[in-house]
Amino acid sequence: MGIQEQYRNEAAELLSSGAVKLVIGYGEGSTADRRRPVFIRTAEEAGRLVVDANCLANLSSYLVQEGLMSDGKSVAVFLKPDGIRSVNILAAEAQLNPDQVVILGFDIGAGDASPLPGRKASDFTPLIESLKTAGLSPELQHEADRLELMSAAERFDFWKEQFSKCIKCYACRQVCPMCYCRRCIVDVNQPQWVNTSSHTLGNFEWNIVRAYHLAGRCVACGGCDRSCPVNIPLRLINHRMAKEALDAFDHFAGESTDQKPVLATFRQDDPETFIL
Amino acid sequence: MTRILLHSRLDDCLAAWRSAGFTVLAPTRRNELTRFDEVQVASDMELDLVLPERTIKDHFFPQTEPLIRYRIKKQAIDTEEMLPPERKRIFFGVRPCDASGLDIDDSLFGWDYRDDYWFRRRDNSVIVTIACTKADDFCMCTSVQLAPDSTKGSDVMLTTLKDGRGWQVVALTDRGKALVETASSILREEPAEAAAASTVPVKFDLERVTAWLAEPSNFESHFWKEISQRCIGCGSCTFLCPTCHCFDIQDEGDTYSGIRRKNWDSCSFAMFTMHTSGHNPRNTQSTRWRQRIMHKFNYYQGKFGVNSCSGCGRCTRQCPVDMGITETLQEISNLPR
Repeated sequence: MGIQEQYRNEAAELLSSGAVKLVIGYGEGSTADRRRPVFIRTAEEAGRLVVDANCLANLSSYLVQEGLMSDGKSVAVFLKPDGIRSVNILAAEAQLNPDQVVILGFDIGAGDASPLPGRKASDFTPLIESLKTAGLSPELQHEADRLELMSAAERFDFWKEQFSKCIKCYACRQVCPMCYCRRCIVDVNQPQWVNTSSHTLGNFEWNIVRAYHLAGRCVACGGCDRSCPVNIPLRLINHRMAKEALDAFDHFAGESTDQKPVLATFRQDDPETFIL
Repeated sequence: MTRILLHSRLDDCLAAWRSAGFTVLAPTRRNELTRFDEVQVASDMELDLVLPERTIKDHFFPQTEPLIRYRIKKQAIDTEEMLPPERKRIFFGVRPCDASGLDIDDSLFGWDYRDDYWFRRRDNSVIVTIACTKADDFCMCTSVQLAPDSTKGSDVMLTTLKDGRGWQVVALTDRGKALVETASSILREEPAEAAAASTVPVKFDLERVTAWLAEPSNFESHFWKEISQRCIGCGSCTFLCPTCHCFDIQDEGDTYSGIRRKNWDSCSFAMFTMHTSGHNPRNTQSTRWRQRIMHKFNYYQGKFGVNSCSGCGRCTRQCPVDMGITETLQEISNLPR
């Protein structure tokens, strides 16, 4: 039995037994290689689910939709390891109760999807711990190295060019499971703290504010990068912040549901290299 | 006999236009993004694209633009209008859908009040369109009563020649005729056969859709919740749309001086309708998506007699969750009556 059939059966069973009220998964998209999020509420609809190497989106962002979990019922969701890490962070930041989340885990490798054993977030902790030392993909490592080799001025120019394309559509924010604020700081307008204008300064403000808010929280799912309609390589800025958290605080975001948020905790042995 | 512009003479043509005082903008690929930008020579252009990722709307209604500079003094407020420069521009290689988009938006910007910021740019621009010979899965001009060779919004229409040597040139407006005249020594007159325009299948029945939208009881239909469930509420579809035109006015500066700006805004955002009191009349994503569809295919039609969609398909092409106008209108046209 292939992964897709296995998970369709499991989703149908979860729904018909009443174990979950909803399954969030992937379905066919508008072209052959596109997948779109689908919301399955009855066992009969489970046949719409698709699980394959094109299922890239981190669906955990739907879990924090206003009101979804407030009835205490459970929801099943298809997640890759990055999405499982997001669930851990959302639990650690008290945005959801991990006991309400049934994880239909899978991973993509060699152009194929394979199931991951375990259904509760805690079942995946050993897997996620093993990712901490796994390093970046060769492509991402190459791009990251290229940026590191630049002088500060060159790097500034690189980001200035990239951010000049930004149109503040906020797709990066909306697709991100970590951007769950009911009202983002850029939308706080009494007074308007951050300029809404999408000029160079405004674009820098927005992208840097977001990068800082994701420091030690980004799980590198790549959702922002894939969603950006103007092709800003957001993966690179978020990777840099993740690296900072790892190097300075040995923090790999989303290891477990009780991992302390790195920028909201203090340890006596924290490095103080930033104090001049 | 047909007027022809050969590929091999395009650089001469650009030079003639530039020496006549025009700035030429064309599709380019720069900084990993395809968009209209200034070009000097033909090799700067990306004319093979189905469509650039961004629309030419950006050059008439920019994402952010200064309107006035203000200074508040003890007894008076000084203001200075910051109108865009009257620069003569040629947009070369526009697709018919994007050109139509400008025409659609003219109604809005010239309606109860004539928007000088839009029309100053419009009146100084010549739109040179190239009819499409290829389309992708997302193109849907034929579904909204347009076509890969529609002339709406264009001043000059170029049609690719069958032998691939260049384009047939047809001036459509006075502005277009004047432009073609400035390049008359570069154009040839000879018999030529045009290549077929691309085939774009019709994806939904527009009449059925608009009839359904016009039925008041459907405003509260459960359909809107179903269709927009996965919408994440970003502004990608609106900002990449050749006809979406909503904006917000913001003052940037301090208590005493600053600049009043006109910035793109999007009906997809919760903030778009947020009242000062905190009440939001469109407080769910489904009501916002409904607004976008109703505005394009009902309200705009009622006010200006035209739908506010030119079928470019960017809303679907670029949607992070694979939504878009096509799917919604397809679903509406398939609803049981």
